[in-house]
Amino acid sequence: MSHKLTDGGQVLHVGTLARVEGEGAMHIEIKDGRVEQVQLRIFEPPRFYEAFLRGRAWTEPPDITARICGICPVAYQFSSCLAIEDACGVSVPDAIRTMRRLLYCGEWIESHALHIYLLHAPDFLGYPGAIEMAKDFGPVVERGLRLKKVGNELMTLVGGRSVHPINVRLGGFYRMPTVAELRGLRPALERGLEDALETVRLVSTFDFPDMEQPWTYLSLRPEQGYPIESGNVVTTDGTAFDVRDFTAHIKEFHVPHSNALHATLDGGGPYVVGPLARYTLNHDRLSPLAKEAAREGGLDVTCRNPFKSIIVRAVELVEIFVEAIRIIDAWQDGVAPSVPVPARAGEGFGATEAPRGVLFHRYRLDADGTILDAQIVPPTSQNQPSIEADLRTLVEQWIELSDHDLSHRCEHAIRNYDPCISCATHFLDLTVERS
Amino acid sequence: MTSGRVVIGLGSPDRGDDAVGLEVARRVADLHLPGVTVVEHEDPTGLIDLWDTADLAVVVDAVRSGSAPGSLLVVEAGADAGPLADQAWARTGRGGTHAFGLAAAVELGRALHRLPRRLVLVGVEATQFEHGTELGASVAAAIDAVVATVVGLVAAAAPQVEAVSHVPG
Repeated sequence: MSHKLTDGGQVLHVGTLARVEGEGAMHIEIKDGRVEQVQLRIFEPPRFYEAFLRGRAWTEPPDITARICGICPVAYQFSSCLAIEDACGVSVPDAIRTMRRLLYCGEWIESHALHIYLLHAPDFLGYPGAIEMAKDFGPVVERGLRLKKVGNELMTLVGGRSVHPINVRLGGFYRMPTVAELRGLRPALERGLEDALETVRLVSTFDFPDMEQPWTYLSLRPEQGYPIESGNVVTTDGTAFDVRDFTAHIKEFHVPHSNALHATLDGGGPYVVGPLARYTLNHDRLSPLAKEAAREGGLDVTCRNPFKSIIVRAVELVEIFVEAIRIIDAWQDGVAPSVPVPARAGEGFGATEAPRGVLFHRYRLDADGTILDAQIVPPTSQNQPSIEADLRTLVEQWIELSDHDLSHRCEHAIRNYDPCISCATHFLDLTVERS
Repeated sequence: MTSGRVVIGLGSPDRGDDAVGLEVARRVADLHLPGVTVVEHEDPTGLIDLWDTADLAVVVDAVRSGSAPGSLLVVEAGADAGPLADQAWARTGRGGTHAFGLAAAVELGRALHRLPRRLVLVGVEATQFEHGTELGASVAAAIDAVVATVVGLVAAAAPQVEAVSHVPG
């Protein structure tokens, strides 16, 4: 919906933005052909998780914070585990770290398959949503559902539930899956790998607007492998720092138009977390098959076009399936499911790569393990300034488009980030004002 | 995955009234109705696989339509029925993803020709979805009526007695 302002300008309302997680709005003001203001207005109510974690036991955050999001609960569980284990001076054995990586693969499969096929592909194929797209692209949508189902099965086997896993505890798991159980999933994972490769072939044929993001990219980088469940922080500016120094570099601040805190990196402009950042900073860590898929998908070793994030997510799907199969093939029974994490006074820091980017947790404990202070920095909060900056660039580039087409492009640009507003508040109604 | 008649309880535990579908599924499973598969489920994107080979699927879910708490909303949504009205089931309180709920699963199933011939959505008007809470009093008081409604639907469609199964999770 659009209407004229009394000064001759124009206001465009596009209703609730669909195909994102959570509720919010977008407000754009255009004056004399220039973009005056772009605001991602996140009005999903603040959820005060950090406040009500205070006074809880050190063992509780993996279960409590998992409830922040139905799409990336594993990210919350493992970032909180890492932070509290850090505070308690515990480092889990490699086998437990490996099983965490496998469970995280399930979450990435679920999240990326959902976003690529049901939320983002309709933008490229010209449909208002997956339902309309399914009428013409039934086998494509079926492939997406099949991929997501494999993710659900992996989450259920390792995590105990396909949503909000219940098998995760501080120090590890309540129960380890057996070799027999894991190998039972292998055929589905092999089929998933084929579907992931087909996904890269499909999405790389889409039309992509020309755009190169100048923003700094930030991701984790582990000692080996592609960043998922661990790593130190690296950026495309050449900065590298330990996760425990995260808050020295990343500063959160409140803006009046959003219930989610924004963030800056070393006082600079927008920075980006998520698939593009991970890929650009860790292409060398991809498996040969994923590298080959990326090359066939038309990607260079870096990618700065946010619209091509759908290709990067598809390449990451390939990587995740390769990784999950690798882990299952190497798994041996007899691993203790957890190690003790006795409470002690201290402060701990943890970060993992949620499907949407780096998720940071910090906890301060007293001697009996009571949580004195908690801080959670989710990826969508960090990406808010870059989403707004992208929109400013795109609106100026496409200012001659009709309000309808401009609004569609803006919504598409927002979905490039697969934003999770439920996490960020821990939103969307689009308004464009022209004058 | 299932054939014959399937009852699917959709929802999230420990989220107040959102657990009503799961509770109803457990109660129906306890009745050991012959030839009826009962499933507890959380993720709407997985529903199509649960119902597409069934003759009758009944999905029980929390719903917010503005009716009195605990009241029932029964909607025919299968292949023999027309599309769901706009916004039908759009404000259910269940978890999963806001971007893809029960209504989207139904219409996606229709587009993919993967709806059971008869699909009945049984909604229970819900009011509260707080973390770590149990069913509210109004919804808890409606459970018997919901179970009776579900049993009535599957009994009316009963063809033959076969196996009984209960698939949690």
